[in-house]
Amino acid sequence: MQQPIPARNLVSPVMVLFLINAMQVGVGVLGFPRYVAEDMEYDGWIAVIVSGLITSVMIWVIYDILKKGNGDIISINKELFGKWLGHTLSFLLLTYLLSVTMVVLRTFTEVIQVWIFPNLSTWAITAVYCLLAYYCIVKGFRVVVGVCYFGVLLSLITYLSLIGPIEFMEVRALLPVFNQPADTYLPAIRTMVLSYLGIKMVFIFYPFIKKPETSLKWALLGNALTIFMYLLVSFAAFIYFSPNQLSATIWPLLTMWQIIELPFLERFEYLAIPIWALVILPNICLGLWATSRGYKLIFSINQHQTLIVLLLVIFCLSIVFNTRDLIDRLNTIVSEVGFYITYVFIPILWIVQKLRHKGGSYETNQSG
Amino acid sequence: MAQKQQKKVTDLPSLLLELGKSADFIHETMRLHKGKIDLYYFKTLVDLSLMKKDFLPNIKKTESPSLYDLEMTLPFNQVEVSSDVQLIETKLLQGCVCIQTHDSNVEAIIVPLEDDNLRDITVPEVEFSVIGPKQAFIEHLRTNIQLIRIRLPIKEFKVIELQVGTLTKTKVALLYLDGIADMENVNTMKQRIEDIDFDHIDDSSYINQMIEDSSMSPFPQLIDTERPDRVSAVLSEGKVAVLVDGSPTAITGPTTFIEFFSAFDDYFSRWHVSSIIRIIRLFAVTFSIFATAIYVAVLTYHSQLIPRDLLATLIQSREAIPFPPIIEAVFLELTIELLREAGARLPTKVGQTIGIVGGIVIGTAAVEAGLTSNILLIIVALAALASFTTPIYRIGNTIRLLRFPFLFLAQLWGLIGVFIGFGFLMVHLLGLTSLGRPYLEPIFPPRLADFKDSVIRLPFSMQNKRPEQLRTGNSTRFNKKKAKAHHDIDE
Repeated sequence: MQQPIPARNLVSPVMVLFLINAMQVGVGVLGFPRYVAEDMEYDGWIAVIVSGLITSVMIWVIYDILKKGNGDIISINKELFGKWLGHTLSFLLLTYLLSVTMVVLRTFTEVIQVWIFPNLSTWAITAVYCLLAYYCIVKGFRVVVGVCYFGVLLSLITYLSLIGPIEFMEVRALLPVFNQPADTYLPAIRTMVLSYLGIKMVFIFYPFIKKPETSLKWALLGNALTIFMYLLVSFAAFIYFSPNQLSATIWPLLTMWQIIELPFLERFEYLAIPIWALVILPNICLGLWATSRGYKLIFSINQHQTLIVLLLVIFCLSIVFNTRDLIDRLNTIVSEVGFYITYVFIPILWIVQKLRHKGGSYETNQSG
Repeated sequence: MAQKQQKKVTDLPSLLLELGKSADFIHETMRLHKGKIDLYYFKTLVDLSLMKKDFLPNIKKTESPSLYDLEMTLPFNQVEVSSDVQLIETKLLQGCVCIQTHDSNVEAIIVPLEDDNLRDITVPEVEFSVIGPKQAFIEHLRTNIQLIRIRLPIKEFKVIELQVGTLTKTKVALLYLDGIADMENVNTMKQRIEDIDFDHIDDSSYINQMIEDSSMSPFPQLIDTERPDRVSAVLSEGKVAVLVDGSPTAITGPTTFIEFFSAFDDYFSRWHVSSIIRIIRLFAVTFSIFATAIYVAVLTYHSQLIPRDLLATLIQSREAIPFPPIIEAVFLELTIELLREAGARLPTKVGQTIGIVGGIVIGTAAVEAGLTSNILLIIVALAALASFTTPIYRIGNTIRLLRFPFLFLAQLWGLIGVFIGFGFLMVHLLGLTSLGRPYLEPIFPPRLADFKDSVIRLPFSMQNKRPEQLRTGNSTRFNKKKAKAHHDIDE
């Protein structure tokens, strides 16, 4: 069975706030206002709040599963579905997490290429990121958490940056509220929940938290921080851009950064994108850490070697996906899969566990 | 070779014979009233004046030359009779006199007569402070421990003595406060010192480098200090200190990254002042690492970043320069390093001259000749100056070293390169530990309470708890509630 994790590798429950927030805020925040505005125009902020709340519920469900299962997703899957099916499910989940990591990395590489260095080759950026992620992950989970922590702190510059576009804002554009037909709400919410998908990582790192059951409130707070950030960014984008303009802007946040002007700094985005390079680092580090750890548990292999293999895989795939079209399609597919995993697989898991729990067989397993 | 050094002499006569091969080993036979005795000692180790004044007259006075009579009559403490050849060897080599009588050739009496040959206790030079105590450690272990014991006259102050170095047999003292220091730290430190396997230990910095958590890191993970007041202060915080015989610096730990930027006189000035100075120091260090790199990045790739007015100034200063920014920057950085190194190697007075000649003459000439822009000259000089604000000498060197990788990353990938480099630095620092404790504390893991004495220094009335980082046995320094007098307006 699984080895207990040594106490020196555990992190305090507060860190869950940073883990959750760091996982959710990534490249998504640079572009999401466009997607919600496509469905709901300026009422999109309602979708931001509602989907954030739905995510909170999902966090609660995940915690409930983990609390009962008392372990990570791999052992829970094995417990509930048997060795083969359970491991297959875990494997698929991990592969999904890996592809998320890849998408994040690939999308950000694209941001760098579009905004700063058009001629910088994809493989070079990917290679450096892989090296950085490797250096981080081999030092263990604590360092990964540290990177998340700093990533969240750095992402707070977003708030400061929103001061810039204030003078060009037209607050009345938001009014009247609730002027969109009811049938637009669902697609908008469905689009928006995709920006909150990072929460599945809890499934892997749960046993690494000291007194993990107490960390639920921190997880919810982390999610609340994400809601707050998304809300501000979407407000800013809605009242800064006109609807047509917004639908033609791929990365509204970056475009808003463009007009910030400081006495010593003419173009803020040239500073902000390099900073964002560190904000998305937690996504990559945590994603790779979680997948390598998960594969290690499933196949009983060395995590270090798995990590190297995964890095090579990501590196090669990033080179393969080399056009805007492919990246976009990849983004869509991974988001779709993520949606179904979060809103279909997790509830099913929850129900199956509930049934098993009632049946008592699970209880005896636990005590035995 | 090593085998030969370790060769053990098992009996006393052959030991004395072996030692006699050295020219400074003295064998004297003295005639007494009844019979003779033999004296053996190193004339280079024993205190000859003490020997003449107290030792020899007393020997002469003794009635019978038996070992136990001698032990009774000699007016020295720690006189012992032993037949342990190893002990006699060690003692002789530490400066004891060994007396042998003719009734036994296995036993001898050992009289400690070592010459301390002390240097005076002087003013700290590396960690000089305007206010506060003016004592620095010297090379003598006993004196150094004494300096600390005077400051901590309590029974909880404990010293563990160890020995390292197969050739130097250096005495190492591990200092801690019982009941306050975490025994885990004490044991880790002790274990690591015991594990040292090296022949020659010259200074505490040898030991410092050998017991650090990661010797691959450019960052020092233990603080070395020459101030006894600093050592006693960190001991009462709950840290552990190591003193090494022959070294005027103590090692203290566990420590944090931020602590390297706190000078000890921060505690002597008012807390507002020292808090601001600490923040300035951290800012200076950041500036020192990144300034030139950002200059190179911006001028090479992101000239859009520069506001219009500033751009004019920059272009003007760079107009006549035939090199790209990176060559210019590396050239200037190397010049500054050269000046610093030359200044450090030369005697103080010449060093100052070099500084002036180098700084002013070369700098001005380089600008006038059109080799560098004066703006970069300002940046590089400021960055060099900023790196000297670090109170602990060792970390200043690290900071200066760090500039170069950032410079090259800036040339490679502009600001993205700088921030990727920052990412590597961040991950590296996150992974570092000092005696197993996180190095970046209180920033990560975030411990709000420990901020009271890190980036800022709050008044002593708020320093009622010892740092959480140290996991002290007794975390309360004083009872805050009791200390706070309850009074109202006009009472």
